Amino acid sequence: MIRFSLNGTPAEIAPDAMLLTHLREALGATDTKVGCEIGRCGACTILHNGAPMNACLLMGWQVEGAEITTIAGIASVPAGEVLVRAMEIENGFQCGYCAPGVMMSLVGLLSRDAAPSDDMIEEALEGNICRCTGYHSILRGAKLARDMLKETTE
Amino acid sequence: MKISRPESLDDALSLIADGGVAVAGGSGFQLDFSQGVPAPEHYVRIGHLIPTGIEGCTIGAGTPLEDIRHAGIPLLSEACATVGAPNVRRLATLGGNLAWGKGCLIPALIALDAQVETTAGRVPVLDYLAAPSGIVLSVCIRPLAHAFWRKVGLRQAFTASIISSAGTLLVLEDQIANVRLAVGGGATPPQRLSGVENWLMGQSIWDVDPDDLKARIESEITAPDCAFRTSNYRKRVAAAALTAGMLGHVEKAPTSAITRPAATPAPDLTELSRADGGNRWHTRPDMPAKIRGALEYLTDKRGDDMLVGRILRAGRAHAKILSIDTSKAEALEGVKAVVTHRDIDGLNGFGIVFQDQPALCSDKVRYTGDPVAAVAAVDGETAEKALSLIKVDYEDLPVVDSVEGALAEGAVQVHESGNLVTEVIHDKGDLADGWAKAVHIVEDTYVTPRQMHGFMETEGGWAAPEGDGLLMCAGGQHGARDRLQLSRILDLPEDQLRIVTSPTGGAFGGKDELTVQPALALLARKSGSPVRLHLSRAESVQAGTKRNPMWLKMKTGCDAEGRIVAQEVDVLADSGAYASLSPGVLETAMEHVVGPYQVANFHARGRLAYTNNGAGGAFRGFGANQMTFAIECQIDRLAELTGLDPIEIRRRNLRTPGSPGVLGQRVAPSERLVEMLDASGASPLWTPFEVGPDEIAGVGMALNYQGNGLGTIPEDQADFALALKDGKIVALCGLDEIGQGMIASLHAAVSAKLGCGRDDVVAVFGDTKAAPDSGSTTASRGGYVVWRGVEETAPALEAAILERASARLGRPVEELKIVPGGIGDALANTGAPILSFAELGDIDPIQEHYAFPKTEYTKGNARFIFAFGATLARVAVNRVTGFVRIVDLEMHTAAGPVIDMASYLGQMEGGLVQGVGFTLTEDMPMRDGNPLAKNFDTYMMPTVRDVPKAMRVTAHEGLDDGDPFGPRGAGELGIGAATPAIANAVADALGKWPVVTPFPQETILDLMEGAQ
Repeated sequence: MIRFSLNGTPAEIAPDAMLLTHLREALGATDTKVGCEIGRCGACTILHNGAPMNACLLMGWQVEGAEITTIAGIASVPAGEVLVRAMEIENGFQCGYCAPGVMMSLVGLLSRDAAPSDDMIEEALEGNICRCTGYHSILRGAKLARDMLKETTE
Repeated sequence: MKISRPESLDDALSLIADGGVAVAGGSGFQLDFSQGVPAPEHYVRIGHLIPTGIEGCTIGAGTPLEDIRHAGIPLLSEACATVGAPNVRRLATLGGNLAWGKGCLIPALIALDAQVETTAGRVPVLDYLAAPSGIVLSVCIRPLAHAFWRKVGLRQAFTASIISSAGTLLVLEDQIANVRLAVGGGATPPQRLSGVENWLMGQSIWDVDPDDLKARIESEITAPDCAFRTSNYRKRVAAAALTAGMLGHVEKAPTSAITRPAATPAPDLTELSRADGGNRWHTRPDMPAKIRGALEYLTDKRGDDMLVGRILRAGRAHAKILSIDTSKAEALEGVKAVVTHRDIDGLNGFGIVFQDQPALCSDKVRYTGDPVAAVAAVDGETAEKALSLIKVDYEDLPVVDSVEGALAEGAVQVHESGNLVTEVIHDKGDLADGWAKAVHIVEDTYVTPRQMHGFMETEGGWAAPEGDGLLMCAGGQHGARDRLQLSRILDLPEDQLRIVTSPTGGAFGGKDELTVQPALALLARKSGSPVRLHLSRAESVQAGTKRNPMWLKMKTGCDAEGRIVAQEVDVLADSGAYASLSPGVLETAMEHVVGPYQVANFHARGRLAYTNNGAGGAFRGFGANQMTFAIECQIDRLAELTGLDPIEIRRRNLRTPGSPGVLGQRVAPSERLVEMLDASGASPLWTPFEVGPDEIAGVGMALNYQGNGLGTIPEDQADFALALKDGKIVALCGLDEIGQGMIASLHAAVSAKLGCGRDDVVAVFGDTKAAPDSGSTTASRGGYVVWRGVEETAPALEAAILERASARLGRPVEELKIVPGGIGDALANTGAPILSFAELGDIDPIQEHYAFPKTEYTKGNARFIFAFGATLARVAVNRVTGFVRIVDLEMHTAAGPVIDMASYLGQMEGGLVQGVGFTLTEDMPMRDGNPLAKNFDTYMMPTVRDVPKAMRVTAHEGLDDGDPFGPRGAGELGIGAATPAIANAVADALGKWPVVTPFPQETILDLMEGAQ
């Protein structure tokens, strides 16, 4: 079995198991959502050592020793709480099913770069499909988070 | 699956020689598997053995594409930005993209004259591709001074490659000293265009004729047709891209096919945004949990004793079932229940209009997604294995793959009742007289796609036996109707069924009909255990309902002043294998057949046919948006012929407020078409705007109106209750939260009416046991149901609250009022409560029953209440690729008072962008009844890069004096006019109208050439 850390807690996975399936089916960690299982919707985006990746494209052997952070662990990520607050203010989502993945893509970006350009925000979201909002509410939330981060660092 | 981590490259090579498959990032495998490539038995990890990183012009094969994308490498970084998405690029490596052989980057590597270092030696990239050998270690590139890149896919970003083209160029003293041109990517084989290169070498760059160059490139490229794009398109865009890359874009004077309207004063408009909304903008009550991933959807339920269900689909479009043998599946260890049609005690049929759809097929299958059996087992893997052990013998039948074929004489019958599901005919006036008056006539056939709902949470949920009955928790849009339909199938009284339908992760009409519930119910009852079942995306794509494709043939004539005098319409609609709500969709389309205009003479016929093309049904817009596309383009075409601007021609034809509806029915007051036209005339979008050097700008508008509610014929009623419990005002409403903001609307409507705070409200919904039946969460009816429910129940609750407070406080009722948090002193200046709601104790639910407002007209299904809108679009049409980029969308709406601003705005923006998808990228083409798109790799919903840079939404909130009908429906308005607004904008740019949606890029290029 492969050992990794899930939101700071030790966890195990078989080397040939898909991380997403393992989270939702074996561990019952359903905070991460399943959307397409081929890396084309981003609903299952998690942080792999801080970098956003699709949990459906990761197998056990790829997470050996890695810190995997899901939406349930967003508060532990720099910029996480600010992003959550900004997204609440802007009502970023509608049905909310894409939210766990979108939030991890954005928190991955904002934790590396607290002041990304609009274009970088859009690029960070290229792999996340949202069917409800038309993206603008999500973009408004991300930009507000950027502004709020700027205020806290000034 | 075996996974090896060899210690050396030699070990890796010997494992690969023994049949192992090398893997570094592994980002492409899941996609390959989904397309039918078998999973390898042995992965050989090489990521730790191959170089990673960039040194000058040498790039380690293990370098992630996301690193290269940000490394500023000529051509290659730009190319990497178009591969996958950042989250995928972090896994994908340069070596993998190359070794895969179909990678998008290959043309860039060819144009960079890359040398590939492998364990077998160093070879030019083309030699490597011709005979891949060894493990790729690094790539050394040789850039030239000038580089150009263009990847053409199926949408703006995160798309498979249709064709990618790359070039590098060195010009010395105006002479072409070196040039490399390449194409490839996806289905297009990698090629270096040596013939063209040789022709170019030594020429003066100024002497190269762009048309000659383009023709030479086009003839040298070899490119295949695929299910989505033609060979011709591939060659054409690659040639245009390479020519433009070398020589720049030919200047083109802007054109404006559409006459610009004179500016009109704007009506009273509320700008919908947080910045403009002030204290009207609230965080939705369901938002915090959704953002934190803390909301448990019905497909998230887990339990130790919970079985996992799977459904066996037909996998063939049309066949007789000869036998079903489940014995081997039942014998498999871990399998707890296998169900077939033999397990159905009641009616083996469901359907909101006709019960023509089997819960589990017994004698024949009518589309590839038809369910034949289902299994519940201890886990998903066991359930899937069991499916493979079920033996079904079929006798294939001829496939009915088109509506024309279905309606042709002697056609194979999909159902015994015949292939014609319904026919709708509307007539008015004297058509011959109308045509005699016509000075200008336009005629075309508008084609609309089999759009997929694409809700992010696929169909699913869980069910458990509850006493003699059943608890069913599955995403849906009307629990009480699901209960009725399940009660028929299970032969169980309705009171033994409890149906939970919320929260649902998106629906858009696609969860209105039963989805997984029949199989789930049968499995839970047979196994006696809780069972969960959640469709994979691939299964949802195959089995889920889709928007009915339509062919709308429309002939419209106007007089010299632009007044429409005659119209003939003939609509064909594809119902797919079953009816579901498709008859309602056709009716709704036909009800909008002349748009919001008065047309004295028209004849309209619509026919809906069964085919083996999947299953059609309800989808936001529900036929109205399809018809609006046709009529709103027709009117712009007439405007062009008459020399009128788009607003003036509409103004001349607008229906008179209060006049009968299309079917002759009485309609509700507060028509706001003039205001929508005025808002459009005041729009800044008509002014010139900047587009790229390879783009042509266009502006267009369209008007729409959308009937609300189910219409005159179906039952359309609601129950609603308010109570006080545990210090909260409880709104009991049987509607569903599917993302639209129903909860927020309840909080908003109750607090606005009673004077309490939004936080004082708790919503109970989406559960047939906990909330009354408020009807379906469809047809833009929810806003009215919520508002009216509060209007009906709040006065009695308020009286009860104040009476009790009066007794507690010993003060007259007149001195008290409801304030946020409880009861306040009506005479005091402060709004602070003097008694909290909790201190009042509980008040039993006060429940009222009411009907959705209807007209008396019953000869056809007609709406009474309408909402109104206008959409304006600025587009940039790409001269190289034929892609349409939406620059700006502006939407004005008139749906009465806005209940909750954030929810309303979300409905409009989301509807607009679903309309963008419908118009530009989304379709589900079928071949012999098989869907050609199987997942989100080729079914193209808009990404963040496909949506306009700017969207503006306003609301004209006023109602006529004495209008008793309150807020109108907001759910479907947004999608209603997006398509014709975009089509009219494209016509403004090109002078010709695209009539097939999603607009084929090849057609756009043809229109462009025709215009030149």
